[in-house]
Amino acid sequence: MLLEIQDLSVTYKTEQGPVRAINGADLSVEEKEHLAVVGESGSGKSTLGLAIAKLLPANGSYTGGRILLNGKNVVTMSDKEVRSIRGGVVFMVFQDPLNSLNPVKKVGDQIVEALQVKSRREGRRYENDSGDVVKAFEDVRIPDPDAILKRYPHELSGGQIQRVILALGLLMKPKLLIADEPTSAVDVTLQAQIINLLNSLKEEYGLSVIFITHDISVAYNVADKIAVMYAGDVVEMGATQQVIKSSLHPYTQGLVSCIPSGRKSQGPLRTVQGTAPSLLYPPSGCRYHPRCPHAMDVCKTTDPELISVENSFVACWLYPTKAKS
Amino acid sequence: MAGYGDPETLPEFMKHRSVLLSVVRGLRRRSRGSSAVATQVAMMPASTRNSAFSYMYRILVKDKLAFGGFIVILAFFAWAIFEGALQVVDSVSKGTNYATIVLGGNPLMLDFSHSLLPPSTSSFGLLFGTDYYGHSVLLSILYAAPRDAGAGVLVVVSGIVIGMLLGTSAAYLGGWVETVFMRLTDAFLSVPALVLAIAVSIMVGTGFTSVLIALSVVWWPTYARFFRGQALSLKGRSFVAAARLCGTGSLSVMFRHIIPNSLDPIIAYAALDFGNVILWYSSLAFIGIGVQPPIPEWGDMASEGLGYLPASWWWSFFPCAVILAIVISFTLVGDRLQDVISGRPIT
Amino acid sequence: MINAFVTIIFLAALIFALEHIIAPSPLALARVFAGTPKTTPQELQSIIQQYNLNAPLQVQFVDYLENVFRGNLGVDSIYKTAEISIIGQYLPVTLELVLSGTVLAILLGIFTGVIAGSMQGTVTDRTIKGVYLLTWASPSFIVAFLLQLVIAYNLGLLPSGGLADPSLIAPHVVSGFPLIDALLASDYVYFWSALQHLVLPVLSLALCTFGVATRIMRSSMVEALGKDYARLAYMKGFSKRQVVMKTAFRNAIGPIITLSALFFGTATGGAVIVEDIFQYPGLGFFAVQAVLSLDNVAILAITLIVGISVIIANLVADILYGVADPRIALQ
Repeated sequence: MLLEIQDLSVTYKTEQGPVRAINGADLSVEEKEHLAVVGESGSGKSTLGLAIAKLLPANGSYTGGRILLNGKNVVTMSDKEVRSIRGGVVFMVFQDPLNSLNPVKKVGDQIVEALQVKSRREGRRYENDSGDVVKAFEDVRIPDPDAILKRYPHELSGGQIQRVILALGLLMKPKLLIADEPTSAVDVTLQAQIINLLNSLKEEYGLSVIFITHDISVAYNVADKIAVMYAGDVVEMGATQQVIKSSLHPYTQGLVSCIPSGRKSQGPLRTVQGTAPSLLYPPSGCRYHPRCPHAMDVCKTTDPELISVENSFVACWLYPTKAKS
Repeated sequence: MAGYGDPETLPEFMKHRSVLLSVVRGLRRRSRGSSAVATQVAMMPASTRNSAFSYMYRILVKDKLAFGGFIVILAFFAWAIFEGALQVVDSVSKGTNYATIVLGGNPLMLDFSHSLLPPSTSSFGLLFGTDYYGHSVLLSILYAAPRDAGAGVLVVVSGIVIGMLLGTSAAYLGGWVETVFMRLTDAFLSVPALVLAIAVSIMVGTGFTSVLIALSVVWWPTYARFFRGQALSLKGRSFVAAARLCGTGSLSVMFRHIIPNSLDPIIAYAALDFGNVILWYSSLAFIGIGVQPPIPEWGDMASEGLGYLPASWWWSFFPCAVILAIVISFTLVGDRLQDVISGRPIT
Repeated sequence: MINAFVTIIFLAALIFALEHIIAPSPLALARVFAGTPKTTPQELQSIIQQYNLNAPLQVQFVDYLENVFRGNLGVDSIYKTAEISIIGQYLPVTLELVLSGTVLAILLGIFTGVIAGSMQGTVTDRTIKGVYLLTWASPSFIVAFLLQLVIAYNLGLLPSGGLADPSLIAPHVVSGFPLIDALLASDYVYFWSALQHLVLPVLSLALCTFGVATRIMRSSMVEALGKDYARLAYMKGFSKRQVVMKTAFRNAIGPIITLSALFFGTATGGAVIVEDIFQYPGLGFFAVQAVLSLDNVAILAITLIVGISVIIANLVADILYGVADPRIALQ
């Protein structure tokens, strides 16, 4: 298994008190697997991505659990070790393309920088033959690579920047690519392109992808496996078809039923009642219980663990505790 | 808010306005509720949600330094109001001496037999020693306090009021009014505070009022710019548009909608600014502008005391220490308030 | 650039307005210009003639602007010589002091700000914050007098005041800037002495001003380090030091450059008191003297000149900023 997250907790220190952004989450990703992490704003999905790459902001800290990347625990790694895995083993693409590139350096310079570090790490000098770079650019469908390399980031469109970052990712040849909402900041046509791109890259470059999104229908189109997050917990994880067609957790069921089917006669749009909980003063026990139509007494007191049910994993008291995941 | 605009008082044919007006009030409440402090209060569980003030108070307490500063400020204002009131009574009733009786001595009286005595614990008046003229340094400091406090409050308040009127109007009216406003404040702001204050005060004359006028002239452009900035960003917000759709006049929009919503950050800055005023006020006194001897003034004492260094160090040291303590207290508290109001996360 | 010009005009108008609002009648204004209260009515009349104070306001204003641009700032109330020549003596000395002070303040601010920003939340960060809050909140006379007391009087390391060793003969005045003139005349003894005398005043100015720079640098560092391109830099495998220096720094430096003119303005204000304490013969020193001797023409002229200097400094800073950031270059 490439990535295994066990009982991870991440807390942010804020003015008002500690915020538990991730609350005992479990996750796993195999090699060459596409996992989509789906959740609302505030569900902790972005934090999860940052946590894996050990890029938490200054006020965030790991308060429990392990992140096993290729067998090694990221949480307890030294800075030096982390530097060696970044770029090489794991690479992350961020949500807002506009701030993703360094505004005061040319695009080409930034890519060369990265490759130089990579070469040094592998013990050889970097030869700037730019053949690799051009190929990577072509793979992500950037026309006219040479011109783009000479430009500054503010001269490129959001979509172009997005693709440059993806190209950089490919050049780094990571085992795991984490994409944080790559489709949220762009229009629908570009969304489709990016999704197709990621799908073809999976085959050609053999990478695993963690695709973070709030849009479950995008997840359906992209991923082999879906993990659903709610208020810092992974509440359900399983093969895409299973999670969508036969969802186990009430929250997932709610999300799936919200997808408009395109036929007006179906009646008013369904929603999931209530609002996302405050992470500063979260509900006790299972964090979903205030909004859950099936809430029971045990849900109010104890947080359910992620257990294996049929071929999926779910964290819900509706399912009797069997063997742990 | 009963009275003008209250739906119940509108005549029948205008009843449809009530819908728009309640929308306006609702939007305004929601946008006021979007201030950082209010959001946090709303997020608190019901049991601890007393009021926004108790929340801010608790934040202040968490930071020990800011709390210390807060206590110093309270003590400062309490004394200044008390002693200041007594001084006003004395000057009005001509013959009473409440102000000096309370101190236990008259800091204005010359007494060369007690000149330049070092600090000692033998009496309250000698705790900080005496100056060349025999004045008790401690009593002089206490006697001068109301003027510094008064200067701080009056200058900041006048700065806010003038700045509010001019800045909000300039932003709201836009066009050439705004351009003139910008150039004018640019011109004001390009002259350093001290230099401009000196220029204004020498023309107005010496004395407390002239310093106040001078400092107010220096102070208003900063607040005017502040208010303009706030007004500009609020101008485009939905509740302003809704208010104008009701036909509310420009003046009314400004006073009832834009200005109240601009106040949050300005109050935090003003807390810090009191300290600034006192700093410049004592710097001016240091140069010799403002209240003249024999009425004591902290900056003036520091300046005169310099000539007696290092032998009679206490004359200069204690006024400096007091100024420092007070300005730092305002800075700490104001800084903390700014953090809280702008919702900056603490790491 | 036009903006700067317009602002200068506004500044002149401002001073003009100030003069005429506070002293509305020609007689009152003549008294202001005369300075000392003991002027005879004939002297007052000659002043009225000299400055054409009986003419209607518009005419006076145009005359005033003309005079300003031609460099005629009136006749000094005390010395009875052309104001501009007196100011011309003192201005370069102050400029030397203020420019050095500003540069030092900015460098100090950048240095401490980068450290504080990259070590956000640590003890180092909080200590730096404590230090700059303390110096920022201190009136300049406290900082200056402490430095003078400790370093000059107690430790005797540096001279306690004045422009240079009084036993030395000043070099021939070419630019007006003491250090430059000394270099031009190859008078290294004087240069060294003047340099020593410059240290404490510059240090005082810098210490009082750098706080704001630290705070700005720190917050823009924190912001830059939180941006995605900083994370990308980590992603490329850079160490924290490399990310701070190579990526975040260049992006965070912007605001400081724009605001460098602001520091110039603050330092100029502080120079008044610093020059007074160190008896440093610049405009500030002259201003304090003028207050004591009621030399009003001098004070008004100083106000105008100082204002113009700050406006020009702003302009220069704007141009420099355009050079540094490619995004602004085209404007």
